[in-house]
Amino acid sequence: MNTAAQTPPADTRRDDAPEAPVMMHVRKRSGQLEPVDVNKIVRAVARCGQGLDHVDVLKIATKTIGGLYDGATTKELDNLSIQTAALLIAEEPEYSRLAARLLSTYIHKEVENQDIHSFSQSIAAGVRHGLMAEKVGQFVQANARKLNDAIDSNRSELFEYFGLRTVYDRYLLKNPETREVLETPQYFFLRVACGLAETVQEAVEFYNLISRFEYMPSSPTLFNSGTRHPQMSSCYLLDSPCDDLESIYKRYTDIALLSKFSGGIGVSYSRIRARGSLIRSTNGKSNGIVPWLKTLDSSVVAVNQGGKRKGACAVYLETWHPDIEEFLELRDNTGDPARRTHNLHLAHWIPDLFMKRVEEDGPWSLFDPKVMPHLTDLYGKAFEDAYAEGESKKLYARQVKARDLYARMMKTLAETGNGWMNFKDPSNLKSNQTGAPANAVHSSNLCTEIIEVTSQGETAVCNLGSINLAKHVEDGRFDFVKLAANVRTAVKYLDRVVDINFYPTSAAAESNKKWRPVGLGVMGLQDAFFQLGLPFDSAPARELSKKIAEEIYFHALSASVELASAKGPHPAFPETKAARGVFQFELWGAAASDPARWEKLRADMVKKGLRNSLLLAIAPTATIASIVGAYEAIEPQISNLFKRETLSGEFLQVNKYLCLELKKLGLWNEDIRNRLKISEGSVQDFAEIPESVRAVFRTVWEIPQRSLIDMAAERGAFIDQSQSLNLFIESPNIGKLSSMYMHAWKKGLKTTYYLRSRPATKIAKATVTAVSTAAPAPAATDAEKIACSLENPESCEACQ
Amino acid sequence: MILDPGFNLTLRPMKYPVFFEMYKSAIKNTWTVEEVDFSHDVTDLKAKLTPAERHLINRLVAFFATGDSIVSNNLVLNLYKHVNSPEARVYLSRQLFEEALHVEFYLTLLDTYIPEPSEREKAFAAVDNIPSIKRKADFMFKWMNSIHELDALDTQDKKRQFVMNVVCFASCVEGLFFFAAFAYVYFLRSKGLLNGLAGGTNWVFRDESMHIAAAMEVVKTARAEDPTLFTPKMEADIVEMLKEAIECEMQFAQDLLDLGVAGLSVQGMRQYLQCVADQRLANLGLKPVFGSKNPFNFMELQDVQELANFFERRVSAYQVGVTGSVGFGEDF
Repeated sequence: MNTAAQTPPADTRRDDAPEAPVMMHVRKRSGQLEPVDVNKIVRAVARCGQGLDHVDVLKIATKTIGGLYDGATTKELDNLSIQTAALLIAEEPEYSRLAARLLSTYIHKEVENQDIHSFSQSIAAGVRHGLMAEKVGQFVQANARKLNDAIDSNRSELFEYFGLRTVYDRYLLKNPETREVLETPQYFFLRVACGLAETVQEAVEFYNLISRFEYMPSSPTLFNSGTRHPQMSSCYLLDSPCDDLESIYKRYTDIALLSKFSGGIGVSYSRIRARGSLIRSTNGKSNGIVPWLKTLDSSVVAVNQGGKRKGACAVYLETWHPDIEEFLELRDNTGDPARRTHNLHLAHWIPDLFMKRVEEDGPWSLFDPKVMPHLTDLYGKAFEDAYAEGESKKLYARQVKARDLYARMMKTLAETGNGWMNFKDPSNLKSNQTGAPANAVHSSNLCTEIIEVTSQGETAVCNLGSINLAKHVEDGRFDFVKLAANVRTAVKYLDRVVDINFYPTSAAAESNKKWRPVGLGVMGLQDAFFQLGLPFDSAPARELSKKIAEEIYFHALSASVELASAKGPHPAFPETKAARGVFQFELWGAAASDPARWEKLRADMVKKGLRNSLLLAIAPTATIASIVGAYEAIEPQISNLFKRETLSGEFLQVNKYLCLELKKLGLWNEDIRNRLKISEGSVQDFAEIPESVRAVFRTVWEIPQRSLIDMAAERGAFIDQSQSLNLFIESPNIGKLSSMYMHAWKKGLKTTYYLRSRPATKIAKATVTAVSTAAPAPAATDAEKIACSLENPESCEACQ
Repeated sequence: MILDPGFNLTLRPMKYPVFFEMYKSAIKNTWTVEEVDFSHDVTDLKAKLTPAERHLINRLVAFFATGDSIVSNNLVLNLYKHVNSPEARVYLSRQLFEEALHVEFYLTLLDTYIPEPSEREKAFAAVDNIPSIKRKADFMFKWMNSIHELDALDTQDKKRQFVMNVVCFASCVEGLFFFAAFAYVYFLRSKGLLNGLAGGTNWVFRDESMHIAAAMEVVKTARAEDPTLFTPKMEADIVEMLKEAIECEMQFAQDLLDLGVAGLSVQGMRQYLQCVADQRLANLGLKPVFGSKNPFNFMELQDVQELANFFERRVSAYQVGVTGSVGFGEDF
């Protein structure tokens, strides 16, 4: 128990022993009351605790009974034992496994009580309840025996509690009336596979890949594969509505339809005239973009994705738009609520010219899109020429100091985490899709990892999935052979989604057929580093991170060439840079490590084409990373001890690698656990831990952000879309942020994502006493040092 | 000295800068009720809560309805009057705003949770009609009124009386009654219920933690300036006061948990309150007397960083009042 440091010697009873319980009863399913049998509970827990050496079965049983009331149901009893085990995870990570097994038993009971005893019965039930697609149902019934044999229940042993809980609460198909789940976790994985497979062999191949946690498709695919509405894409990118009423309102409809089925939205508003601009038909003046965004804000909330979660939408605005300052205030806490949009995410679409003006401390001209409609579609030199011409003709609405605006952008980032810095020119110049001059990227997506061309007729789509790097380290070495094979399989099924997917709008269907982009990403980079004992920004870690990116790019391209030679290249292939034999890293001016194999691939690519215009994007992976129990995407750990909050409740997570290491050092005890809480999950001040170990277990707050940016740039040369790169500054100020984002731009990054900071004051610890604050002794609270508990980062789920 | 009668106005040189720093940090944590998303709560109340949990919540809302208003009153009538430091008074003004904000938050909560106007009225009347809530209110009023007659703290004895009032509101009301209320909220949150309530409560909790710290700072300062301020009798009185507060809160717990809530037992609540009370004693530099350990593992969640998912919660971590100017040479 992690509790008060001073325990008086008089207290000898176990802290978790209930106070002399009165005679308790539980109510069974039949409605019958039965006395609580301690031994029965102990036996049930013990069955799940086999092989877990560090869990105290008796403790779970007594604590469970201690929380019980007379007349509770057996279901409440089961849930309570799961919850009890889960709440001890921070004390001993093995409780996570115990809780997962208890929950697994509970799920199996629920499924079997509906007379579902095999995978094919589960699918049949899904069809009966109108959830599964008929075609998938027929496929499964025709191959029932082989598919049932493919199920390997032991794979559920891979689950940590948080992952299984998430799957149970949100992913397993439910009986529409009783809300009981119709599938076990393994049936669920095979159901997802069958939704994407053409043969039994394919279904088993994909099932094996995901049920071993080596790769995980994004949430929309997990939610919807095999169902009657197989909307499996994560992201949609929409061009700005045109500057007229009809177009503006049509865009709301598009966005509502797209978010209804779990898609995240990125949409530009750069074409809409600014506040004060003349409306000729009524001879009135426009109120600018803010009222339109307010309507969008309400619309996004109204469409709640089937009760699973709220819709989510990021709005992009180019930095030269005259409403930019009001845009920056949209998420402020104060001010006129009619001009605030707390449900929208805000993102900048910044031309290089702006950053240059900031650097040279020059002026910045703001142009009404009504006056300069062409700026939206231009980038690179063409943009700069048009901009200069507008300035020389004095067509601007007004001018500001570039640095004043930049400072305002930094302030918004620090205060809201929003106002993401995304760079228009690198995104366009280093895109494979902009091989023809008419094609332009107008924004990124909800999570800033997708970079795709849009237009009035084309809504860009992307389906995502991520390789779990945590499962690619064997015997202290990173397994590149396994990585290569998994990348190829993953690309095959990501490509498959393009054909099977249900498209809510025709603009999305058209675009996706033409470009067939996919977004393969990674998660668990931090896990791989922990497994290899590498500090996150050490030279070998940076080398490995880059090599992983290069290998993934190489094998993803190879797989796409293979698919093209079998099924033909995507229709717009001639409009891409790949058609001219250009690789992403060449657009960055970087080199590959093994030129010979790239030359061979180049020849193949030019000759056979690519099945997919884009292949790689590193999404935030929030939910799927928790399913497989890995750290998110390419991110360092936030803390060695943190909690996750989701719709299914709160769960404590402890860094299991740290726990193992400290056990090895004989240091894992109550004292260190309490100190870990007080230090907000940092081990940097724990002198008894060797410095080399501490270096490995730094948190993201303790790693220079410059390294994260540099690593992102090294990796970025092998990513044809982009990455959701969060940056972390504990106490941000404008000087720090302006330096940091200037560096990010200079390194050539296409996009960045949230700026995370920590709250200014913190909450009293409820369960540990840090310091006695009112004793007359001098040194007492150090507000900065005990920096807050609660809090932090949100991350995106649409993207994963 | 900080408890000397008077109306000190001197801010330079600043005698107690710690309070001014607290004021500045508090401003950085400004939040508004509009940011709290109650949309899931209504669904939870209708569809997910058991009757026992619904009873618990109704009682809790009734307590919240008046709790912060009473604290505000004491702040204006007593604390602000006697803490003679302009920088501390600046902090207390900020605290008063936060109390008002909490009142608004709980009012919005009540309006959202209880659609029926007559039921809302009843919630406010709970302080008179529901014995378990009335008992807590009586306890608060007793200590608030105990120094009503004090015009100036011109003797050491009067200073002691005042300190007892501060301890009552910081250690027993904000530090124990509210901590108990937070435990119920966080218990439900640990089951994924009432995210709006939990989200707002996070912010309230953050504010309250600061209020307790500020009050402890006042007591600490007063003791440093007058080492004989605390007497053994006073220390014994404080322990008695905490014991009484625990009994008040236990009656409330009996009422709240009357219908049986799996995972929260009445005896667990007592143990939790004793553990919190020991911490309050430790805050005052006094020895723990209960020796209980926290039985509620879900409260440990409160001590650990949150990693929310923005589809689900609005994150409460950002700061306001960020300053500085554009430059390119800083470390990051």
